[in-house]
Amino acid sequence: MPVAAAILWAQWRTLRNHRGRGGSVWATVVSAIWYGIWGLAAVALGRIVSEGGNTTLIHNVLPAGFLMVLLYWQVIPLLLATTSASLELRKLRVYPIPESQLFWIEALLRVTAGLEMILLLGGVSLGALLNPRLPKWASLAVLAYILFNLLFAIGMRDLMARMLARKRVREASFLLFVLCATLPQLLMTRRPPGAFRLLAAFGGEFWPGWPWAAAANLMQGVQAPFAALVLSLWIAGAALFSRWQFSRTLTFDADAAAASSNPSAPMAGWRERFYRLPSLLLPDPLGILIEKEFRFLLRSSRFRLVFLMGFTFGLLIWLPMALGYGGNRFGPMERLGGLPFLARNYLTVVSVYSLLLLSETCFWNVFGFDRSAAQFYFLAPVSFTRVLIAKNLTSLFFGAAEISMITLVCASLGLPMTSMKLAEAFSVAAIMSLFLLSAGNLQSIRHARGVNPANSFRSGAAGRFQAMLLLVYPLMFSPIALAYLARYAFDSEAALFLVLALDAILGAMIYRLALQSAVESAENMKEEMVAALSAADGPIAA
Amino acid sequence: MAVPAAIDIRDLHKLYGGKAAVDGLTLCVPQGCFFGFLGPNGAGKTTTIKILMGLARPTSGTIELLGYRMPADAIEIRKQIGLVPDESLLFDHLTGGEFIEFAARVYGLDRAKAQSRAAELLDLFELDDAPRKLIAEYSKGMRKRVAMAAALIHRPKLFLMDEPFEGVDAVGARLMKDILLDQVRHGATIFLTSHVLEVVERLCDRVAIIHEGRLVTESSMEDLRMGAESLEDAFVRAVGVGRGDTLEWLSK
Repeated sequence: MPVAAAILWAQWRTLRNHRGRGGSVWATVVSAIWYGIWGLAAVALGRIVSEGGNTTLIHNVLPAGFLMVLLYWQVIPLLLATTSASLELRKLRVYPIPESQLFWIEALLRVTAGLEMILLLGGVSLGALLNPRLPKWASLAVLAYILFNLLFAIGMRDLMARMLARKRVREASFLLFVLCATLPQLLMTRRPPGAFRLLAAFGGEFWPGWPWAAAANLMQGVQAPFAALVLSLWIAGAALFSRWQFSRTLTFDADAAAASSNPSAPMAGWRERFYRLPSLLLPDPLGILIEKEFRFLLRSSRFRLVFLMGFTFGLLIWLPMALGYGGNRFGPMERLGGLPFLARNYLTVVSVYSLLLLSETCFWNVFGFDRSAAQFYFLAPVSFTRVLIAKNLTSLFFGAAEISMITLVCASLGLPMTSMKLAEAFSVAAIMSLFLLSAGNLQSIRHARGVNPANSFRSGAAGRFQAMLLLVYPLMFSPIALAYLARYAFDSEAALFLVLALDAILGAMIYRLALQSAVESAENMKEEMVAALSAADGPIAA
Repeated sequence: MAVPAAIDIRDLHKLYGGKAAVDGLTLCVPQGCFFGFLGPNGAGKTTTIKILMGLARPTSGTIELLGYRMPADAIEIRKQIGLVPDESLLFDHLTGGEFIEFAARVYGLDRAKAQSRAAELLDLFELDDAPRKLIAEYSKGMRKRVAMAAALIHRPKLFLMDEPFEGVDAVGARLMKDILLDQVRHGATIFLTSHVLEVVERLCDRVAIIHEGRLVTESSMEDLRMGAESLEDAFVRAVGVGRGDTLEWLSK
C-alpha cells in the first residue's frame, strides 16, 4: 500500500519535526506511565487466565469482563469527548486515494482509541495460550473480539461525529446517546423489577447471542461452533456498519450540515441580550472582551458539547459509583449519611468533574480555540493582563453556570441537597477554578496549540488525557484534600470550611503570581505563541 | 471540429441551509484554455471550485472533468488534476520539500522519482533556501508556491486553482505565471479564481463572471472587454456598481 506508506511517512515526519522543535517530553512520559499501568494489569490478567485451576473463575467473570471492555472502548472516548488518532480526511480527500485504503488506514489508527483494552485483551490472549484447559483457539477468540470492537468503534465514532456536525440536532442527539450509554448503569442503580434479568441478559448469562458472550464461550470452548458463528456475524455486521459510516463521512458536507436558516427573531433577541450582559455590567475594554468570549464560546461546538456533558453525562456516570451496586433500592438518597465518600459528596464530585471537562476550552488552552484573536490581542491597545482576566472571568462564569445547572438537575431528580452541600460544592469548585486558572494561564501561553472550535471531539488520545488527570490533578486537589482530611479528623463542617478558606487565600495568591508570570511570558513569547497557534496538523489528527 | 471540454458543468445548484450558494450554473471550459472564474466576494466561486475538487457535494446538477463524471469517477479525475486549494489543506509541520514529496507519492510516483522531482520543484520555485523550514513558518506567498509545486508534481492535464496569486510577491507571481502559461502551451487546461483582475486580464483566454451564485457572463477576454474597456470596468458593469457614498464622520 504505497499510499498508506506515504501517509504514515508524512505523519512520522510531522511528529519528528514537531518534537524536534521543543515538543513535549512530558506527553511521552505521561503516556509511558499510563500505558505502563495498563501493561502491568495485562500481565496480571494474563497470569490469572494462564492458570489451569482458574477455569471456574474465568467462566464466571469472562462475559461481564468482555462487556466491560466493550463499554470502556466505546464509551470512554465519549466520556472524555476524544476520538484519538484519525485521518484528516478534509486534507486527504483531494488526493486520488481509494476509499478502501483510507478505511484500513483509519482502522489501524483507531487502535489508539482502545489501546488500554487491547493491552488487557492481549494479556488475556497470551494467558489463554498458556492455559492447558482452554482450547487452542482461545487466543484467536480474543483477537476476533478485538477486531469486532475496533470496527464497531470506527462506525460509532463516524456516526457521532456526523451527528454532532448537524447544527440543529447535535446537542439533542448527543443527549439521547448519553442516556442510552448510561442506561445499564442506571438499571444497576435503580433495580426496577426485571432489571436484574435484563442486566443478566446483557452480561451474557441468559443469551449467548451477544458478542461478549460469544467471545467468552468461544474462548472456553462452550458451544464453540455456535459461538464462532455468532462472533463472525457480529464482526461482519461491525465491518459493514463501520465501512458504511466511513463512506458516509467521506462524502459528508460539513459546511452544509452546519448551515441553517437564521434563528427565530425572539430567540435571536434573547441571545443577543445575553451576549451584551457583560458590557452592561462592566466597563470597556473588560466588558467587550468578555462579551467577545461569550459569543465565541457559545458558538463553538466543542465548548457546547463539554458544557452539555457536564450536567448530563457527568451526572449520570457518577451516580452508580456514588450509590454503589449493592445498596438498597434507589430512593431519594436517604441513606446518604451512611454511604461512602462519593455518595456524601456527590454534588461536589460532579461539579469538579464538570470543571475538568470544561478545562480544555476554559483553562488549559484558552487561546487555541480562537487562534486569530491571539494576534489581535498583541496589536490592540489593551494590556494582556486584562485579556487574561477577561478570559478567566468568562471561565468562572461558565463554571458557575455549569454547577448551577448540575444543582438544578439534581434538584429536579429529587436528590436531597442541603445548603451546606451547595456551599461546599461551590466553594470547592471555586478553589479548584483558581488553581486551574493559575496553571491554565501559564499553559495557554507557553504551550498554545491551535484547535478547530468547530470540532466537537478532541483528537487527542483518551488515555493521554486520563493520564494527565491522574498525574496533574492530584497536585491541584491536595489543598482541597486537606480540607476533607480536616473534616474527617475533627468531624466538623467548620473545619472543612476553615481549611477551604485558607485554600482560597492560597489559590488567590498563586493566581496573582501566575497571572504576572503569564503576562511576562506572553510578552516574551508572543512570536512563538502566534506561530504555534497558526500551525495546523499533519495527515493524521492525533 | 469543436474542442472537447475539460470542464462541463450543467445546472449546478448548491444550497446551504436553504440559501443558494450556487444557483443553476452551467459552464463549459474547453481543453487547453486558460480560464478565469471571477465574481465578487460571496458570489459562489469557492463553493464551485470546492465542488469541482470533490470537497463539497452539489445539491443537484452534473459535472464532468476531462470526460469523467464527478463524483462517480472521483479517483480517476483526481489522478489527472492538479489542485491549488485553500491553504489550510497543507500540512503545516512538514517542510516544503516533505510536503511535495508526500503529494508525489500519493499521486503514485515512486520514492526516488518523488524525491528528485520535489528537489527540482523546490529549486524552480526558489524555496530551497531554507530546506528545514516548516510550512507553518512560511509566508502566505511561499505557501502558495508550495501548493503550486505540489500541484505540478504529477504533470496534470487540468489545474483547479483558488486564488493562486494571493499574497505572492511580484517575482513569485511572475514565476508562477510563466510556469502556468508554459503548461497551457503544452495542452493543459487552467481554471482559476482570482480577485487580481490585472493578472486574469493578462493570462486568461476566457472568463466567466458569477454573482449571487448565477452566471452573469461568459465569453472570451476580447468580447468581454468590448474593445477599449478594461476587465475591471467590464467586471463592475457585470456585477453592478457599488454604492459610492461614504460615511460623514469618515470623510471629515
